[in-house]
Amino acid sequence: MNEQVGYFGANIPIKIYGLSEKSVTITFGTAIDNDLLALITDFNRLLLQNPFSGLITTVPAYATLTVFFDPLSVMLSDLPGEVCFEKVSAHLNKIAQTKREKSKLIANKLVIPVCYGGDFGRDLLTVARTNKLTEAEVIDIHTAGEYVVFMIGFVPGFAYMGGMDARLSTPRKEVPDAKIPTGSVGIAGNQTGIYPMETPGGWQVIGRTPLKMFNVNRLQPSLLKGGDTVVFKAIDINEFNASIGI
Amino acid sequence: MSMKISIIKPGLLSTIQDMGRYRYLSQAVPVSGAMDELAHRLANKAVGNDDNSATIEFTYADASFKAETPILISYSGDGAFLVYNNELMPAEKPLFFPAGSIIKLINNPIGVRTYLAIAGGWDVPDIMESKSTYVTAAFGGFKGRALQKADVLVGGTLLSEVSNRILSQLIEQSLTYPNWRISRESLLPEKRQSIRIVLANEINWFDATSIISFLTGTYMIDRRSNRMGYHLSGKPLARKVKKELLSTAVTPGIIQVTGSGDLVILMADCQTTGGYPRIAHVAAVDLPLCAQFKPGDAIHFSEISRDEAEELYLEREHDLSLITMAISLKYIKT
Repeated sequence: MNEQVGYFGANIPIKIYGLSEKSVTITFGTAIDNDLLALITDFNRLLLQNPFSGLITTVPAYATLTVFFDPLSVMLSDLPGEVCFEKVSAHLNKIAQTKREKSKLIANKLVIPVCYGGDFGRDLLTVARTNKLTEAEVIDIHTAGEYVVFMIGFVPGFAYMGGMDARLSTPRKEVPDAKIPTGSVGIAGNQTGIYPMETPGGWQVIGRTPLKMFNVNRLQPSLLKGGDTVVFKAIDINEFNASIGI
Repeated sequence: MSMKISIIKPGLLSTIQDMGRYRYLSQAVPVSGAMDELAHRLANKAVGNDDNSATIEFTYADASFKAETPILISYSGDGAFLVYNNELMPAEKPLFFPAGSIIKLINNPIGVRTYLAIAGGWDVPDIMESKSTYVTAAFGGFKGRALQKADVLVGGTLLSEVSNRILSQLIEQSLTYPNWRISRESLLPEKRQSIRIVLANEINWFDATSIISFLTGTYMIDRRSNRMGYHLSGKPLARKVKKELLSTAVTPGIIQVTGSGDLVILMADCQTTGGYPRIAHVAAVDLPLCAQFKPGDAIHFSEISRDEAEELYLEREHDLSLITMAISLKYIKT
């Protein structure tokens, strides 16, 4: 395939491929890990601080950053190249040559209150039994962890989070639930996530947060974004009811 | 004074759409927007609107509405014909109706979606910089939902100079329209079942026989087809590389191959990321054709290069800008 290769910070190989007439994807690696996340977050920040003419938006994912642009503006720009792919790649490769500062990821750290078990977490017992734990131990382990948001996908505001203790690992349901309520906190394999709106889904639901994970009236509608750090805090039903809709 | 209509019969799925919501993709907000962007833009151009003005996207026919005030509208697409007093209304042309007119949509056997533009654009709030409706998450467009009986829709009061001049020439006590129209046919290929595609990044994950059958076979639009995507039925594709694709950004037009080897063309409301390997993407200029496919339609793919797809896109944009220029020259003498 037509692709361009460059190096980010002079040592990390990146690969660029065309996704559509209006987008290209940069590949940074092939695995889910925190270093890769930091790399993509850094590159994304650099690109947004030094945009090319016609840049519309970027979409970070586990191992890629996709760049959307307006082809007409790109063609009118003075970037080197005959076609949009060459012109955009030239700019991205220039970004890749930028010296990468050894800055640690400056991430937001968010505390997400969760009311575990009962009607809000109908699968808490399943997760406990699968891992030979008590329900209380599941809650302790889940709230002890620090989670990293790798990307937002699936539905608006849905954060894919890694870093869960392997002792909670539970396969997703064979038959997905038709309706998972808004705010449900779930587990699938080694990942944990929060449903920002009612959708069908196959994750094991262990609790519910009163926070609005997605709200179109906020400047940033999605509460979480790629690179954020999350900790969960157990709350009871009274605290849940008192903080609903925040 | 603003132009106003009321919905008598909403039809199967009628939503407000513009050219999409691009700036929130990283928060997993889909692009949405008009499925047939070409028809959407032509309907707008015909009344002197900006291409991104909101239109109503009707799905099939069986819908009707009433002009509550005098209105200047136009329509384009292949799902329905507009009918007034048992007379078929011409498409891609400004149409002036006096208050009280009842306009019906009757079936056009060719396609699915029809776009209704009003001078000034349909006035609904901007949500995340777009007027497009995303029904799944209940935001955008008219109250975040499909139109219902008795809904009243209002046109924007800020008319372009061209819209104002079209209106002043047509305003009467009865139906009027000019003798010109935009030729949509000249922008569409003759063989609308042949979709041009560009091979995608994971093309080498499929075995050679599968790639050949993808490029030579016939596929049928499955019943499981909606604004999110179209499932295709046909010969399933076999994988040579069995590894998993880490979820990464996708965009309308991409053709994914599911675990069972079936093809899915992603459409306007598709998710922003996906984990299925991609075999190709539909050339942007042919995506409007896909928007008009119905379950049961037989289609096939023909390969073009990435650079050819870009050239077709740039040519199309050039042609569209010439149409805008020609319409303004009719009304604004320089």
